[in-house]
Amino acid sequence: MSEIVLDVRDLEAGYEPGVPIVRGASITVRKGEIVVVLGPNGAGKSSFIKAIAGLVPITGGTVFLDGKDITAAPAHTMVRLGLAFVPQTENIFPLMSVEDNLRVACGILERREIPARIEEMYAAFPDLVRQRRTAAGNLSGGQRQMLAVARALIVHPKVLVLDEPSAGLSPKFVSMVFEMLANIRKSGVTILLVEQNAKAALAIGDRAYVLVEGKDRHEGIASELWNDPVVAELYLGQRPLKSEGGSAA
Amino acid sequence: MSLQFVVDGLLTGSMIGLGAIGVTLTYSILRFSNFAHGDFMAWGTYATLAVVSAIGAMVGKVAPIGPLSFGWPLIVALIVGMAFTALLALLLDKVLFARLRSQGQAIIVVMASFGASMALRSLLEFTFTSRPTYFSRAIQIAMPVGFGIRITPDQIALLLLTAVLVLGVHLLMTRTQTGRSMQALSQNAALARIVGIDVASVVRVTWVIGGALACVAGVMIGILVQIRPFMGFDMLLPMFAAAILGGIGSIPGAVLGGLIIGLAEAGAVQLIGAEWRAAVSFIILMAVLFVRPIGLFGVRER
Repeated sequence: MSEIVLDVRDLEAGYEPGVPIVRGASITVRKGEIVVVLGPNGAGKSSFIKAIAGLVPITGGTVFLDGKDITAAPAHTMVRLGLAFVPQTENIFPLMSVEDNLRVACGILERREIPARIEEMYAAFPDLVRQRRTAAGNLSGGQRQMLAVARALIVHPKVLVLDEPSAGLSPKFVSMVFEMLANIRKSGVTILLVEQNAKAALAIGDRAYVLVEGKDRHEGIASELWNDPVVAELYLGQRPLKSEGGSAA
Repeated sequence: MSLQFVVDGLLTGSMIGLGAIGVTLTYSILRFSNFAHGDFMAWGTYATLAVVSAIGAMVGKVAPIGPLSFGWPLIVALIVGMAFTALLALLLDKVLFARLRSQGQAIIVVMASFGASMALRSLLEFTFTSRPTYFSRAIQIAMPVGFGIRITPDQIALLLLTAVLVLGVHLLMTRTQTGRSMQALSQNAALARIVGIDVASVVRVTWVIGGALACVAGVMIGILVQIRPFMGFDMLLPMFAAAILGGIGSIPGAVLGGLIIGLAEAGAVQLIGAEWRAAVSFIILMAVLFVRPIGLFGVRER
């Protein structure tokens, strides 16, 4: 097995002291993998992934990135440490051009490296080239998601972390986004994502965890998890699924 | 009516515009209305005056530059004054605004800036009295430039200085990583942190730019009108009106808003009388808020 890139142990986190949302969740992500975190509504998936990215206060446990403890690192230092995060919504700067969205994220790159790196992103996401001078707020939902991912990838992260990349997208864009993630992994990038859309996420993932009430309750090979009775039980056993487009039923 | 109001309006508008840049940056990046911004102007002006006096005491009388009313000591003093005002803004943020901002209630920060405004102004009155003072008492001869317009060399120099500073700030905002970081922070503070922007350092740059430009605006008033502890406070309404007219967060908008308000004020003085000058900003402010609250260059929140 390849080396561990991201190692999260017994993570506890929450916005208010004494009210943990994440209650002792542990996961590992190995180099080159796509790891999916699933779970019913309100399981704390989003808080879990935001805590890793430094956006939700951590009250217990540790986060190691490439063997380095990043548990207490402020959010703005994460890209330098090698973790690039793509939030679920509002993940672009709407009034800035597509190109400025990319450029503003290049703070940790060498100045002379930046133009070439931007061109590499355009090569990987050709849809963005034609829109380089467009205000990012005018992009379609799918293009916004591409821009957000390109912006995260531009700094050569050790791990790309995404919070529900398919949320709010039309079905056409959903398949496009997952296809994009599968291609990104092929280029050697390690990916951790949280998803509601379990079927599509498991289709591209290597391994998956099921998070319930802020704790990892089950782990398995992604392709096997879809038919795993334990998963169905964890999902359905907690509370009836609200209709999430039939994603995890 | 005489076209002289165009020159007067552009000059007043330049002062308002330079001040409004600071107001619009603080509003969009730190998300509060800084009512102490006018007092940064006054403090910067008095600091500049103090340095001019100190240089005068050290090297004696210095001849003015060409046809201007001032010599190199004022230019040196202005640079020192800009640095001083920037430091004042940083200090006020550190001891007052930053602490309150971390508690997360914008209205408390606004009220604190109101208090700071009064305290700063009172300190000036206490130290320098409320009697007006001047950089120079020399009378400049205005040169006719046609169309019934007369302009003094000082006025030309200050209009040019404004143009250079506005262009500089605009380029900083649009062409540099610092400027892009400021834009990013004003559009989405959480995402700005995610992409690796150190919010604290961007906030410091914002105060430095706002403070330094406030000082320049104040010194312009000092050169063309007079120096009083209330000089900045009196500019507060026109500055906010300009920032809102231009669209919060927009540098070109703040400057254009300032020029429009300056011209409207000067025109109103000629048409209906000087006692209505102050009402002009208020009327424009209300009209913008009713008709187009996002201002000329503003964009609706998505």
